[in-house]
Amino acid sequence: MAWNLLKPKKQKKKKKQTATKQSKQGQNPLSTNLSDNKNQLRSIYQDCSDFILRSFMISGKHQAILIYMDGLSNREEIDDNVLSPLMVKTQEDQSDLQIDKLIKNRVSISDVKEVKTIEDCIQLISSGNPVVLVNNSKTGFSVGLPQWEKRSIEAPEAEKAIRGPREGFVETLAVNISMLRRKIRSPKLKMQSMEIGRYTKTNVIITYIDGVVDKTLVEEVENRLKRIDIDGILDSGVIEEFIEDNPYSPFPQILETERPDTVTGNLLEGRIAILVDGSPSALIVPITFYSFLQANEDYYNRFLIATAIRWLRFILVIISLLLPSLYVALLTFHQEMIPTALLISMASSREQVPFPAIVEVLIMEITFEALREAGLRLPKQIGSAVSIVGALVIGESAVSAGIVSAPMVIVVAITGIASFTIPRYSAAIALRMLRFPLIFLGGMLGLLGIMLGIIMVIVHLSTLRSFGVPYLSPMAPMKYSEIKDTMMRAPWWKLNKRPHLTGEYNEYRQSSGQKPSPIRGKD
Amino acid sequence: MHLLRTNILLRTILICLLLLVLNGCWDRVEINDLAIVMGIGLDKTEEGDIELSVQIANPKAMAGSGSSGGQSSGNPIVVETVTGRTIFDARSKLQESLSRQLFEGHNRVIFISKALAEEGIQKHIDFFARFPSPRLRANIFIVDSKVIDILKVPSDFELNSSEVARELAKLKIGMNITTKDLLEQLANESSSIALPSITVEDKPVGTKGLRVNGSAIIKENKMVGEIDNALSRGVLWLRDEIKLSSVTLEPENTEGYISFKLLRSSTDLSPTIKNGKWKMVVNITTEDDVVENETNLDVLDPKITDKLEKQLEQKVTERIQKTLDYVQKEIGADVFGFGEAFYRKFPKQWNKEKDMWAEKFPELEVEINCKAYIRRPGRSNIPQGTQKEEGVKK
Amino acid sequence: MLEKGKISALQMTVLLYPTITATAILVLPATTGNFAKQDMWLSPIWASIFGYLSVFIAYLLHHYYPQKTLIQFSEKIVGVIPGKLISFGFLFFLLHTNGLNLRDYGEFVIGNFLPKTPMIVIILSMAFVCAITVYGGLEVMARASQFFFPVFVVLFLFIIILLVPVLNPENIFPILGEGLTPSLKGALIPSQWFNEFILISFFLPYLNRNGKGLKWGIIAVTLVMITLVISNLFSLLLFGDLTPFFTYPFMDAARYISIADFLQHVESIIMALWVTGMFIKISVFYYAVVIGVAQWLDLTNYRPIVFPIGFLLVVVSIWSTPSLQKLIDFSGTTWPFYAFLFQMLIPISLLFIAIIRKKRSK
Repeated sequence: MAWNLLKPKKQKKKKKQTATKQSKQGQNPLSTNLSDNKNQLRSIYQDCSDFILRSFMISGKHQAILIYMDGLSNREEIDDNVLSPLMVKTQEDQSDLQIDKLIKNRVSISDVKEVKTIEDCIQLISSGNPVVLVNNSKTGFSVGLPQWEKRSIEAPEAEKAIRGPREGFVETLAVNISMLRRKIRSPKLKMQSMEIGRYTKTNVIITYIDGVVDKTLVEEVENRLKRIDIDGILDSGVIEEFIEDNPYSPFPQILETERPDTVTGNLLEGRIAILVDGSPSALIVPITFYSFLQANEDYYNRFLIATAIRWLRFILVIISLLLPSLYVALLTFHQEMIPTALLISMASSREQVPFPAIVEVLIMEITFEALREAGLRLPKQIGSAVSIVGALVIGESAVSAGIVSAPMVIVVAITGIASFTIPRYSAAIALRMLRFPLIFLGGMLGLLGIMLGIIMVIVHLSTLRSFGVPYLSPMAPMKYSEIKDTMMRAPWWKLNKRPHLTGEYNEYRQSSGQKPSPIRGKD
Repeated sequence: MHLLRTNILLRTILICLLLLVLNGCWDRVEINDLAIVMGIGLDKTEEGDIELSVQIANPKAMAGSGSSGGQSSGNPIVVETVTGRTIFDARSKLQESLSRQLFEGHNRVIFISKALAEEGIQKHIDFFARFPSPRLRANIFIVDSKVIDILKVPSDFELNSSEVARELAKLKIGMNITTKDLLEQLANESSSIALPSITVEDKPVGTKGLRVNGSAIIKENKMVGEIDNALSRGVLWLRDEIKLSSVTLEPENTEGYISFKLLRSSTDLSPTIKNGKWKMVVNITTEDDVVENETNLDVLDPKITDKLEKQLEQKVTERIQKTLDYVQKEIGADVFGFGEAFYRKFPKQWNKEKDMWAEKFPELEVEINCKAYIRRPGRSNIPQGTQKEEGVKK
Repeated sequence: MLEKGKISALQMTVLLYPTITATAILVLPATTGNFAKQDMWLSPIWASIFGYLSVFIAYLLHHYYPQKTLIQFSEKIVGVIPGKLISFGFLFFLLHTNGLNLRDYGEFVIGNFLPKTPMIVIILSMAFVCAITVYGGLEVMARASQFFFPVFVVLFLFIIILLVPVLNPENIFPILGEGLTPSLKGALIPSQWFNEFILISFFLPYLNRNGKGLKWGIIAVTLVMITLVISNLFSLLLFGDLTPFFTYPFMDAARYISIADFLQHVESIIMALWVTGMFIKISVFYYAVVIGVAQWLDLTNYRPIVFPIGFLLVVVSIWSTPSLQKLIDFSGTTWPFYAFLFQMLIPISLLFIAIIRKKRSK
């Protein structure tokens, strides 16, 4: 894509570098001389006040050092289970027991790894694993005792649900992974680890279910992630922008969610999730436009109700995109379409308004967006003040002051409510922003302009793909079998097939003919 | 790199296009700049010009209720009159004196004065089919007084007098003719049309109201006669358009009247040609309810009902015959669609004798077969005050 | 191959359906009504024969030369230079017809909705939208039209259903009152619209499963026929003899709708219908011209010529006719014969030559 062309050859060279870093060649092996190692590490961690280096003697014989970062490792465990057993002098080890065996015997920690290079050392230390280096030995040992402060698991704020699990991802990758693993216990759930960011060295995990996912898709995701060369990853949003198919589109092509159940559901449909350390939102690829109109709750509620709610959402999507522009178009171009009585009452309410309809709409829409944005960032206590200002000042006073007409306030309010019903914020905001060009088109060419605008939007959506999957599928291109989970929500016992994304796939998710009936129950 | 360059090209074109579009909003009109026409009246001046009157809604007068506590000021309607050689000529002159743009998109009523209709109606109606904004569904009325008086009548329930007229037409007491119907009839040379006639009523004294006052018969583009409400009802029966009708009978052998309300009725025109003799058979089936019974007849008794049905049939036939006597025999206007019925059934014979229809029509033999059914006796079965046993059985 | 995308047979149908229906649905009742009077609803049925014929010819040619469009195989059939000449004529015809389509659209919008807006704005905006679509390629076009197809059908049905209460069924009689001739005469002009189905030749090579092309082509013709019969019938039942007096009878029919004083003047729905239909129609013609020119010039990529041809298209549509009357006159008198030459005679003679050649080579 154009993205490749923008970033010329430099990037490719870098890719090679990162590729070579993985192999052992360019790394410094540990020296047998402990003080060499000590000095090297000291110079690397110069001016790092949280760097802790403790020299000690194993069984009073072997000189050794213990290195870890303050606050990343469990200090009590280190003291009790690493330092004290090693430092104790016992009669038995008068023998010439190999030092590595000695350590493995003494240290009562399950996760002990051998370390051979300085780089490995650094990586382990910075991820919270204390390292023990011994004199006259080419290998050191890392002890798996990471521990740091983390947020407790809470219900996700952005994706609330009435029915369904209430847990949400947190910032700690290990916790997030454990949540997924708890949901999918099969060893088929694979997690490929990757490190992105020159400085942040952020841990990124590609997770999928082997045997359900299309392998080429996994490769594609891997390749796109590997291409990223950046100093730091702050949130999964940064990664999203690097791996999208169409970077210039206002529409999100990757689904982000804070809910483990949503991720699990998508994994089971053959999609891939990308978890990023330090970010509570997982990325899911590939997705279609309809994914943004579905809430996880759809799958837990009764299917008839869920279908009705999905249709309601479709209507509300159209309203949130078109209502203000339609209002302008009808009011200034197609007055004959408004019922006579309504037209006259609208005319009378607009009698004192000094602005043309399009300006009026823009004023109100921008005010509304401002209120929304203001309410988002403010602390909860002040948030209510904003809503009072919004409701009273904008709604009531603006009308009685004759700045806007009452029908206009209604239109803006309905549009706002409609746009909040879209379950995914990223899609809702895209549609909300597209409203403005449509208002302009509606104000210039009336309904014709709106039609042309809609055509442009649809054509644009038709060009989009998310990791090879057409954005508008299964409507265009049409896949009959998938309509039952987009246009409606078929009962679970009918959803026997997985949606087809790309390439080969595992077609059936369950055995057919599970429709419950009392007759079967009697057997 | 090539792709990138076209991207820039695309964007430049887009921006240029947007600028082009931003240049002007050619057809944009704010509703506050519209004079919403609610009714149009056409009249003739003594010099032979057209006098165009329009009834314009005045939103300002209606504003009062909501914002800023202002009192509703002025009349909810404004009536303007101007003369010109054609309708559009007059309209243009009217526009010169109006601060708002005339907008006919909501005009649903056209009043045409009798004087104008007698001269010919087609040339005036063309404007309403050609100019983009007027509606084809606008109702057309003939007015026998000055048109402007109708437009100025204040209304009690509706927004304005035009609305009153339209609602009256919708109730189907008289004819309900839209621009489209009129155009359709005018396109067909052999048929005539009956347009509803409306008049200003002064009863009770001091208050003014509108009243449907029969119909005007338009034949060959000119108004040739008028019929009253009863005869109009006959036309409706024949055109299978009757919706609201009441028939009151005075049964034999007893005192008082019985009133029937029409439930539904269907009229079927079946033309026949036998040995070159053209004949029209009109089959009417009507279903009625008893709504008022002054007599002491027991309307539950099937025998009595049978008798009443017979009388009802007679009454309806009588009414229709009266209409035919006047409209067919005297005026000779085919407002019933007899010609069309012949054409649909006998297209070949029709095409041969099409030109003779005007002479043939008044002599056409018409046979009326009416079948009436009395469905229900109403809420009470026998007249109050009479015992069931006493109910006279005759 | 110039076009890397593949479409399904269903997508081909949803591309072709609006291509023929869009113009016809509005104008057809008037043009056929002129000749056929109350038999006008029969005319599309007769005219559809030409549609079936076109699909069949295109399919046979495709059968002989798979993977090739009309522009490419005409060289194979009659030699390079005559082939190029024929292709040039055909491409010019397509460009010209598309210019007229665009103009038709502009005239309709200006005549009915935006009287004061300059023609150039209306035409340019539409041409621009179509250019972006064609630039996106066949797949994008197919997907967009697949998305709009249900909208098109639903809006059409919406209007049809709303019209039912105001219809006058008697207007249909007498059926065949003056024999077959009037309805056959009425079929003359629409037959050439049905002949536009020859454009299927530009899609058949890009189908992802080849066998279904003929079947879905025939389905497309049948759908178009049914739609046109319905629109003619409803205009007739509403307006009767008055139908040919209107420029766009079906739109005036929609204007006549009034349900409970609330739902009225739904002609804007007709505009939405027409604009989406016209968008697909113009895009399909536009695409055929672009891909045809690219093949004619042996280009490796058709995208660079999309915008230049779009410019040409706008110029043709502005200069081809001075007024609506001339446009109607041209499409009622000259165009049917002109179209017949390119849409029927040339393909059919190509087919004959191809068959003879194949037989000889055996």
